[in-house]
Amino acid sequence: MGRGTSLQRRSTLALLFTFAACTASAAPRVVELPGKSPLVTLRIVFTTGAASDPADKPGLAHLTGEMLGDGGTKSLTYKQIVDAMYPMATSVRVYSDKEMTTFVGETHRDNLDKFYGLMRQMILEPGWRADDFARIRDDSLNALRVSLRGNNDEELGKEELYNVIYRGHPYGHEDLGTASALQKMTIADLQDFYKQHYTQANLIIGIAGGYPPEFLARVRRDFAALPEGTVDRFDRLPAPPRIGHNRVTLVEKDTRSVAWSLGFPIDVKRGDPDYPALLVMTSWFGQHRQGGRLFVRMREARGLNYGDYDYIEYFPRGMARLEPQPNLARQQQIFQIWIRPVEPPNAVFSLRLAMYELDRLVKNGIPAEDFEKTRSFLSKYVNVLTKTKASELGYAIDSLYYGIPNYTEYIKTSLAKLTPADVNAAIRKHIRATDLEIVGVAKDTDAIRSALLGEAPTPPAYNSAKPQEIMDEDKIVERFPLHLRTEDVTVVPVETVFEN
Amino acid sequence: MRLLKTGILAAGLLSATVLFAAGKIFPYQYVQEDLPNGLRLITIPTDYPNIVSLFIVVGAGSRNEVEPGKSGFAHLFEHLMFRGTAEFPPEKYQAEIQRAGAASNAFTSDDLTAFHTTFSKEDLPRILSMEADRFAHLSFTEEAFKTETRAVLGEYNKNSANPNEQLFETLRATAFKVHTYRHTTMGFLKDIEAMPTEYNYSKQFFDRYYRPEYTTIIVAGDVDPKRVRALIDERWGAWKRGSFKASVPAEPPQTTPRTAHVDWQTETLPWIAVAYHGPAWSGATEETAALDAISRLGFDQTSPLYQKLVIDEQKVDLMYAGPPTNLDPELFGVIARVKKASDLPAIQQQIIETTEAFATKPVDAKQLEQLKDHLRYEFALQLDNSESIASTVAQYVALRRTPEAINRYYDAYARLTPADIQKAARKYLLPNNRTTVTLSSKEAR
Repeated sequence: MGRGTSLQRRSTLALLFTFAACTASAAPRVVELPGKSPLVTLRIVFTTGAASDPADKPGLAHLTGEMLGDGGTKSLTYKQIVDAMYPMATSVRVYSDKEMTTFVGETHRDNLDKFYGLMRQMILEPGWRADDFARIRDDSLNALRVSLRGNNDEELGKEELYNVIYRGHPYGHEDLGTASALQKMTIADLQDFYKQHYTQANLIIGIAGGYPPEFLARVRRDFAALPEGTVDRFDRLPAPPRIGHNRVTLVEKDTRSVAWSLGFPIDVKRGDPDYPALLVMTSWFGQHRQGGRLFVRMREARGLNYGDYDYIEYFPRGMARLEPQPNLARQQQIFQIWIRPVEPPNAVFSLRLAMYELDRLVKNGIPAEDFEKTRSFLSKYVNVLTKTKASELGYAIDSLYYGIPNYTEYIKTSLAKLTPADVNAAIRKHIRATDLEIVGVAKDTDAIRSALLGEAPTPPAYNSAKPQEIMDEDKIVERFPLHLRTEDVTVVPVETVFEN
Repeated sequence: MRLLKTGILAAGLLSATVLFAAGKIFPYQYVQEDLPNGLRLITIPTDYPNIVSLFIVVGAGSRNEVEPGKSGFAHLFEHLMFRGTAEFPPEKYQAEIQRAGAASNAFTSDDLTAFHTTFSKEDLPRILSMEADRFAHLSFTEEAFKTETRAVLGEYNKNSANPNEQLFETLRATAFKVHTYRHTTMGFLKDIEAMPTEYNYSKQFFDRYYRPEYTTIIVAGDVDPKRVRALIDERWGAWKRGSFKASVPAEPPQTTPRTAHVDWQTETLPWIAVAYHGPAWSGATEETAALDAISRLGFDQTSPLYQKLVIDEQKVDLMYAGPPTNLDPELFGVIARVKKASDLPAIQQQIIETTEAFATKPVDAKQLEQLKDHLRYEFALQLDNSESIASTVAQYVALRRTPEAINRYYDAYARLTPADIQKAARKYLLPNNRTTVTLSSKEAR
């Protein structure tokens, strides 16, 4: 356990029990990180989310979370809550994903009683008012159609990639749902979901900072009011089938440039034996917003775009965040490459270059001389990831969920044992340069489709001379085989994405 | 105009009682010292163990882009600074950052360019050496320069899908006719597209501004100020002072209301921005604090207008406001996203009426005191690690080169009265001083 960390023994056992014996645990799981800070962070996590949405109600888990976090309670209207929070400069934030719905509150300990009193009511005594529902459903629709589909090509591409990879799977819809399903949803649907999934079995109570010793007992008592329920199980979800060839979805949209995302499911999550090895691989190949092989070859050497990264865990909102948000844990993950928007004349070349680099990664592994540097980076960078008490608490909750020790210890210990051979073996086992799902967001989809399917090379257009080594490599990249048949390239009008 | 509240104000970790009784909102003891070459060092030991956060703030941002056709150069330089030196070419620089497990990045705003790195304390000497080398000896070829200009165009492209960017670009270009705040930090698209031909100018830009007298180094975390000073003397002492002073044209007073509209090519909800020319940031007078108070009392979640439009009538889904917080006079602004285009004119009118009413009707004294409570807790909640502390100080360093600016500003806020607020509104929130920009999908019009 790290500094100040005490994952309770009882809680860890509860988790093991949950996963090993497939039975509901009666006691809620608790993660506490007491400290001297005058700030107190509460993270109330329910291990339920979009993967528990009924098939005909995609978006229900998300909307239910929003209704609690952004609506009134039995005794207080939303306006009264906002007014009460204001002098304390705090609020309850809610976010949800496939398997987790998280309520976060942070307050100065001067205000802990008052703040917690509000947060408790919001989660345990929701008001279910029609006017809150109308506002929150509008917000979800606008988040889906306007903010995501209309105003953020990169996130649109990344989210659509998950949808195509998980077609027909419980993960196979946007967390926010579909527009048509949201329009049909009722308060009764939300209440049903709440009754069924906001249970003690799904609850993890997280608390960090300078709270008084007796405070946790009070939180436990209060949340014991939830029904015991059963655990939402995500460890038995089927793996998505291997598609057997590359496939491209082009989202047609009036936009300046072309955003690409590509990837495939991997059978590795945090806690699995090959996770540390793939973490080294992913950092070397494209550490988020820090650089890596893709960044150096695509942006630095060629100036193709603003950045190029890869991931082995879900990392939404990456354009706004330098470090990932905790509590987005999933039992199933994908390997993903994110190519930030490129100028249309270089669109197909950029995609080819990323695929060429991926192919080299699979064939050659990572160079032995880079292994030590990358391992050293990750062993120290883990301190940056957990630099605040709030993020440390988030990571500790994820560790409990994945059944691993404190994240910092887990990373440092497992990296220390790792060898370059382990990394390259893991790459060979889990990473591939074929059977890729590829999503592009672009205006002139006809031209891109023709270039993808045509035999002609797609050379890059540069504004300056490049070293001979780059020019020579470009000759290979511009013809790098994409292995696409006519039926493998689909064009989708943007208006239809996330609609049904 | 501070469009988002987060990230600008900051917090400390003493208890509120201690914090407020001490009279200074910034709770950390810091050491501020100037080297003979003009470089300023601010060292802030914090309670957070092991980690050090280094912010190097250059007092040059898009405000300094005084020549026509050269907008975006401060931001381009943020990129070029990663192009390396003879001693540390980019791959070697990156390898060092990697070895240190550092989180490293940079950002540019109207008034500053900041380079920041957060890492374990044992790596401080090495990182300070490497940074000193690139600030004094940056060296890039014309080819590398041209390649980097394309990465900047890529950045413009990735931003361009967001209508907020276009709204803000148009607001600046409409409200300012002469001052360099006319363009955003990214710069005008035509200037970005022309950047590849400006290699020689880029050398000139570096020569002017990447100088010790423009630069402040902030070191926050698990550090000893004496040891940091010795390292800085040793590694940054030889850096040569420059002599350039930008002459930024003053914006003449606006004499009539201005409006503009942006047609957006794809699906969006309509946006509206209402802005007024305000004063330069000041901690010495109550004006900045007064405009901040108006932005909050008029448009925060608890304000009557927000509750009417967002919660009751549900005609608006986003609304926020901010005061001018720049080195030179900039804008007080309100931004809202409206659900139906047909509601735009009425919403616009209500925002204008609400803003301008602060000139005629004094705010409730009790509400003002509640706001002051809110601010103190907002501050206390935000500084929860060394990086946040350094980042907060960096914002104020761009304005006054000292963390003391934070204390002065909050002192002014503590003194603020309803009469001060009314006085500021009467001076700045006037129809002739107003610029309104709307944005909507072509189909929605």
